[in-house]
Amino acid sequence: MNLTAVVWATTGALFSFGLAIVVFRRQLLAMLLGLELMLAAVNVSLVHHAGLFNDAEALAVVALVIAVAAAEAVVGLSLILRMRRGGRGADAALLTELQG
Amino acid sequence: MTAAQVPWAAWLLFAAPVAAILIGFFGFRRFKPEWTHLPILASCAVVTASAFWLAAHVYTGHSFDLNLFRFAEAGDWAVDFGLRVDGPGVAVLAMVSFVGSLIHLYAAGYMKGDPGFSRFFLVFHLFFLAMIGLLTANNFVQLYLFWELVGVASYLLVGYWFHKETARKAALKAFLTNRVGDFGLLLAVLLIVLQFKITHFHLLYLKAASGATFELLPVIGFLLVWAACAKSAQFPLYFWLPDAMEGPTPTSALMHAATMVTAGVFLLVRSWPLISLVEGLPHLIAWIGAVTALGAAVVAGTKKDLKRILAYSTVSHLGLMMLALGLGQIATALFHLIVHGFFKAALFLCAGNIAHALHQPTANVDDVGGLQKSMRLTYLSFLLAALSLAGVFPLGGFFSKDAILDAAWHHGGALAVMGMLVAAGSAFYIFRMLFLAFYGARPEQKQAPHAHEAEPILGVPVLFLALGAAAAGLLKEPVERFVLMGWRGMPSGLAGLDLVLNLPGEPVLPHLNMTVAVLGTAMAALGAFAAWRLTMSDPGFDWRWRGGAAEAVFESDFGWKTLVDAFVRGVSRLAGFTGRVLDKGGVDGAVEGSAGFVRAAGAAIARSAQGRINDYLWWMLAGTAILLLRVLR
Amino acid sequence: MNAPLTMLWLTPLAGAAVCAFLARYGALFFSMLFAGLVAGVACGQSSGGVLSVVNELGPVWAYGISYRLSADSLSIGLIALTAFLNLICVAASWELEVPAGYWACFMALASALTGVFLARDLFFFYVFWEATLIPMFFIIGLWGSSNRLHAAVKFFLFTFAGSVFMLLALLALVSAHHRITGVWTWDLAALDATTLGPVAPLVFWGLIAGFAVKIPMFPLHTWLPDAHTEAPAAGSVMLAGVMLKMGVYGLLRVALPLFPTLSFEALPILGGLAAFSTIYGALCAMAQTDLKRMIAYSSIAHLGFCLLGVLSRTSQGLTGGTLQLINHGLTTGALFLMVGFLYERAHKRGLSDFGDLATRAPYLAFFFGFSTLASIGLPGLNGFVGEFMALSGALSVLPILAFAGVLGVTLAAAYALPAFQAVFWAPAGPGSVSAKVTDLNRRERAVLWTLSLLMLWIGLAPRPWLAYFEPALRGLVR
Repeated sequence: MNLTAVVWATTGALFSFGLAIVVFRRQLLAMLLGLELMLAAVNVSLVHHAGLFNDAEALAVVALVIAVAAAEAVVGLSLILRMRRGGRGADAALLTELQG
Repeated sequence: MTAAQVPWAAWLLFAAPVAAILIGFFGFRRFKPEWTHLPILASCAVVTASAFWLAAHVYTGHSFDLNLFRFAEAGDWAVDFGLRVDGPGVAVLAMVSFVGSLIHLYAAGYMKGDPGFSRFFLVFHLFFLAMIGLLTANNFVQLYLFWELVGVASYLLVGYWFHKETARKAALKAFLTNRVGDFGLLLAVLLIVLQFKITHFHLLYLKAASGATFELLPVIGFLLVWAACAKSAQFPLYFWLPDAMEGPTPTSALMHAATMVTAGVFLLVRSWPLISLVEGLPHLIAWIGAVTALGAAVVAGTKKDLKRILAYSTVSHLGLMMLALGLGQIATALFHLIVHGFFKAALFLCAGNIAHALHQPTANVDDVGGLQKSMRLTYLSFLLAALSLAGVFPLGGFFSKDAILDAAWHHGGALAVMGMLVAAGSAFYIFRMLFLAFYGARPEQKQAPHAHEAEPILGVPVLFLALGAAAAGLLKEPVERFVLMGWRGMPSGLAGLDLVLNLPGEPVLPHLNMTVAVLGTAMAALGAFAAWRLTMSDPGFDWRWRGGAAEAVFESDFGWKTLVDAFVRGVSRLAGFTGRVLDKGGVDGAVEGSAGFVRAAGAAIARSAQGRINDYLWWMLAGTAILLLRVLR
Repeated sequence: MNAPLTMLWLTPLAGAAVCAFLARYGALFFSMLFAGLVAGVACGQSSGGVLSVVNELGPVWAYGISYRLSADSLSIGLIALTAFLNLICVAASWELEVPAGYWACFMALASALTGVFLARDLFFFYVFWEATLIPMFFIIGLWGSSNRLHAAVKFFLFTFAGSVFMLLALLALVSAHHRITGVWTWDLAALDATTLGPVAPLVFWGLIAGFAVKIPMFPLHTWLPDAHTEAPAAGSVMLAGVMLKMGVYGLLRVALPLFPTLSFEALPILGGLAAFSTIYGALCAMAQTDLKRMIAYSSIAHLGFCLLGVLSRTSQGLTGGTLQLINHGLTTGALFLMVGFLYERAHKRGLSDFGDLATRAPYLAFFFGFSTLASIGLPGLNGFVGEFMALSGALSVLPILAFAGVLGVTLAAAYALPAFQAVFWAPAGPGSVSAKVTDLNRRERAVLWTLSLLMLWIGLAPRPWLAYFEPALRGLVR
């Protein structure tokens, strides 16, 4: 059992958990957490494979993903905060503006 | 000949009216509207003097025709505008300017104090100008330009009292009917351009006389006749003219005598070298003329409104001119046109004087009777003009009508009989009018104690016109000479024109055929006697016979008006259907319907999307899964 | 300046930007500058009375797209019409209470229209073509009357759908050309459609679809009455005066030169539709009760005459049809302006909403009557010359078309005069708003005098105008 298999199993599990949280939960905060989890899983995988293939670009992408995740968290959190302030809770099922 | 050699008089024909209209429009209309007639009357004097000078010039053999400027051009396609002062044109021009000027003078008195005085005079003069242009045009496009301008000016004048619904309707009817005729003229001009590549009269005459065959010529000729039927109020398009008397009386006088209805006859005279080449077309013109003349004469004998009687009389006399034309007697047609201009103008202005005396826009036989004593000058003028119209020797109408009857007699058959019947009918309706208006005062008629003779500015022009109508017989020889010079006397020495003069058909007639003269006079006497019998010896007859089926027949002009109304209704229904049903429901309905379909489809699909993020995430997941599968396989 | 043609379309665009700060003054200044520039180019490039062709080339980009402008008398004539009507529009809406965007939209519209008439690269032609939609969409949608949103969206979608066909046709043309010759080019002069083979009819009809919507030709015309009716007066003027001309211009510039044989083979269909449009437009106009709608339908009929002339491909037809483009811009422009003046005063447009205006507003009656007569083709005024020459051209090719066209001329009086009578002559009925109508003021009269004198000039002496356009059209004569 080599390291790659371990990484694959871990990141796969992490990613699946994240996905499951996003898809099944309706609590917005939890959904955001799920998203971050998925991003983190991808990052772990990227770091491993960067070492595996000696590729610096992948590491650069990791930095980029961290930045994106941070930005996304900022935007997402502020949106959620705005929702709560507006007295609409944090339940995704109540957000139906996308319906035309 | 160059433009510099054109006599001053020819330029003045246009310069004076244009200047008068501009001065009137920009100057007097704004600052002193009640003086608008002054520059215009001055222009009338100048135009009349110029026209007579030109007539003398042409009479002594100096007719001319030249292109002045190129109107439009594209590639090898071109239209030139110019000036043609020749016999037929200048003969009519002299009459139009003289009669027209007298009517202008009359109008200055008649329209005085009317709130639209200034507008009236400007349009009135524009009408006059348009006719001058029509008579001096040297090609078909230019003629069409002034032809339409005549139509527009008449539209504005007939609709002058636009607060009256009848006036609005009559104006529209006149314009649209003329437009139907213009359809023929426009198409004819376009076809002439296509067939001959030129529109210049003189060159067309030459081409037509060259003996070559032109396959479009019959169509062109027929369309020209169609156009003339509308403008000159001939069956089947005559019906606008009787209604057109809704305009002020001077308008009717000008329109009936000088400027409008004569245009159609003049068009046929101008295009005669083309029309005469078409087999059977002159015959058709003669028949149109005869039928119109007879029908209108009968209907004129049944009308009550004075101006309406005269309007039908005009239709009838135009029919006589057409008859003469159709029989190849161009000079006779033009001669009758000129004589008719005098007596018809006088008669209309007399009717105007009567209405003026009653302070009404028009007068009806119910309104008046026995005006003989209270309006002596008007009575005298009317009598002279009426006798001339009826063709009593030795007044002008006798000579012109006799010449037409003579031609019909020579042709023989039904046309001769119809000509004689028209002579009787004319005498009947005009004597009936004379007796009803000026004699008696029957119990059915209102007494008009306040009726008084018109002031001199209204009386004198009428008297001059009546005297002209009486003496117009003297013009016979000159007019014939003018007409001959129209085709032969061009100084440019163009050969081949004599060919054109060899018109097919009628032989040259001896002057004054005694049989016809006696027979014609007898018919007129018969008509006059019938009129006396039914108005004087049986004064109540005119009020007794009305109300039955007979009146309905006459009122609808033997049913033709009913048919026309049905046609007009049909067209407007078609327009309503096209605009409201076909376009709105059909074509636009399809467009709006497609938008509606898309909207409905969108709504149907939107029902599956509730707007919840989780649902969308599921969709996304499914999509990604499919993509992944596709990539991994 | 080395690039006068580029300046020509950039000037109004700069004006649009300036309008954001200076509003009407910016619009006035820049439309005058624009008009002056057009006049300068027109004079500067003419030699011996004939406008020589001016070219301006830029770099060639990917897929052969290049910045390529050119101007012959046809282009400059239509640009002059744009500049003139733009100036007229600014003058006519001077006293309107509108935000700066209104003026900016008009300047942007003028810029895009100028671009259409200048571009000789089909890519830029398309870009400018579509760019005209944006300002017009806002003009209708923001400053129109009650039902403006519906009209704006309909206008946009309808004409956009037509343009999509045109875009597809252009793409097919360019890629087919590349496939055959191995050269990528969008240059109108370099493209040769004769070698296209089976694709050619598709390309041709795609182009025609795009142009026919703009013209508009029956049955693709129904956006026009709605758009015209709802647009503000000046918007209608630009729409009828210039935007409709883009369709005929496209035919003259793109479709006819690229497909000389196909366009002639299509004459019975296209000419038939054009001739039918003249009658159909007239009949529809007769049925209208809204003054603006009536004029809009009359535009369909008038453009039918232009098409008849242009499609005949004869010298007189092409020249007359092109002159008719200018004529229609002037005449219909004047009519729309006057309806706009009425609407500003009384907020009504229906035929039965008015009456007796000839006594209340004699100047308005005079100008309206004058323009109406010009529009129904009274000889001596501009409409006749174009119609006559166009019909003369059509007659020599397919007589039945001219016959229908003459019928259309006849019918014109049957809708225009009753409408004139209802508004100006008939007594004001109950519920009429005639009392609110004051006569034209000096500014409005000056605008209408300008238009009327031009109508009279073209009507009495059209020769210089015809001579101006004729050289540019000579190449299209069959």
